[in-house]
Amino acid sequence: MNKATPKAGTISRPLIEVENLSVNFHTPKGIVEAVRGVSFNLGKERLGIVGESGSGKSQTGRALLRLTSGNGSISADKMQFDGIDLLNANKKTLCDIRGNRISMIMQDPKYSLNPVMTVGAQVAEAYRIHARASAMEARQKAMKILEDVRIREPEKVYQLYPHQVSGGMGQRIMIAMMLIPNPQVLIADEPTSALDVTVQMQVLALLDDMVRVRGMGLILISHDLNLVSSFCDEVLIMYGGQIMERLAARDLHKAQHPYTRGLLDCLPKLSGNATILPILKRDPAWLEKVGQI
Amino acid sequence: MNKTMITINNLNVLFGQGNNAIHAVRDASFTLGEGESYGIVGESGSGKSTILRALVGLVDNWSGEMIVGDQKLTSKRDKSGRKLMQMVFQDPYGSLHPRRTVNDTLAEPLIIHHFSDIDERILNALEEVGLGREFRFRFPHQLSGGQRQRIAIARALILEPRVVLLDEPTSALDVSVQAEILNLLVRLRADHGLTYLMVSHDLAVVGHLCKRIAVMNRGVIIEEMSDEQLRTGEMNEDYTRQLWVASKGYDLEALDKFIDFE
Repeated sequence: MNKATPKAGTISRPLIEVENLSVNFHTPKGIVEAVRGVSFNLGKERLGIVGESGSGKSQTGRALLRLTSGNGSISADKMQFDGIDLLNANKKTLCDIRGNRISMIMQDPKYSLNPVMTVGAQVAEAYRIHARASAMEARQKAMKILEDVRIREPEKVYQLYPHQVSGGMGQRIMIAMMLIPNPQVLIADEPTSALDVTVQMQVLALLDDMVRVRGMGLILISHDLNLVSSFCDEVLIMYGGQIMERLAARDLHKAQHPYTRGLLDCLPKLSGNATILPILKRDPAWLEKVGQI
Repeated sequence: MNKTMITINNLNVLFGQGNNAIHAVRDASFTLGEGESYGIVGESGSGKSTILRALVGLVDNWSGEMIVGDQKLTSKRDKSGRKLMQMVFQDPYGSLHPRRTVNDTLAEPLIIHHFSDIDERILNALEEVGLGREFRFRFPHQLSGGQRQRIAIARALILEPRVVLLDEPTSALDVSVQAEILNLLVRLRADHGLTYLMVSHDLAVVGHLCKRIAVMNRGVIIEEMSDEQLRTGEMNEDYTRQLWVASKGYDLEALDKFIDFE
């Protein structure tokens, strides 16, 4: 479908290496194992992580930046970014990496933007902090990137507060804020689920450009199997905190695992005849420890 | 086509006043027969949900003609109209009262409409949507997203309406749960001969359930297409075709040809 795909694995060394990552949450009702033994490498490519709610896909992304909330604990045999050990990095190292070298687009713009600051100032701030630029330069950069994420009339939008913009626009502002420091790795957690399909495609094209032109590594976390398979180079399918299957995106239709097949089959088709869709039957065996895939 | 169930003629909806007024729906007209499923697709802000909200009476400032069954709708609604037409909302996390049990939620419409066999109807409704009687005294926070949407559907159906308005009923759900809810909707329509008017931004969901689909852009219905056109992609309007291409997945080549529609 997309011929401009750079070949996965042509780079010398992966940007991110993860081996046997687990995330556990300690709750009054016992330990919840959100992520169980996940391993993957990320080069200058587009890696998709697909799964349903509760599959651990978002927690995998958060663990990379050590953003797991207070009652959670992370363990891994290896979790490295560009040779830096993320698992044992101190606060200062993490501060240098977060937002600057690895940045993350959160799911919900309603809760992730500062409600008492104009959106333009927030985008410019992201640039000023990381690039130590002047206010004037930051403002110009912010305007430019707002235009890049297809916001019409950036001058007007610059002065608005988050409650004055629509969900889709808020999402694009977040994306602008995360792209402005020019990170090496971008973790995008459902970056386009609040957007209309055509805008969604345009935002993805922007991320695509960043990967191909600037050599960024992208982790796209999503529940949308179709979208991920048409956009990414490689896809991990997660269920119950484990990777069920690892596929080259173009081979998705050849997926073997019954969970992947079930997810593919239950998508509605453009048929108009309202047939009964096959229902995904969950096999308890999928939750058992599967080991490395 | 059977007897006409919903007729909408030159519906206009305005929000705000004077120079700041937003013309959310412009001269919308369509009809649908009894037992038919009709879909409306469009991007956010296109006015598709506003049509549904005007039909159920959640939006006041409208003009034009709306006929449901043999009732001509006015700004004042009576109880028989409520019994004829019910709505299922988008977000099952927001549409159920967090401090009321499933039983309270389902009993309220029955009490308002003076039904006597409340117990029996609640148990029937739960069974109808595929939930057991053990769910009757649970609170919404004890239910999953799919279970909540089933309760919202049960609440809409408990008065035995003829018309059900569906406002993005599956957009907050996982694909596997979405399939279950779509199957439930298909079965309920077959069992009760319901008429559906469904709104969604997801072409595949609407295309799965509906034979005829209206496409809206900036308050105007620009095209009405058949399921056949949806399969083949032979639409008359460029806007519709662009929407169709975009919903097929990421395709860089097609994207270069995209234009902004005013």
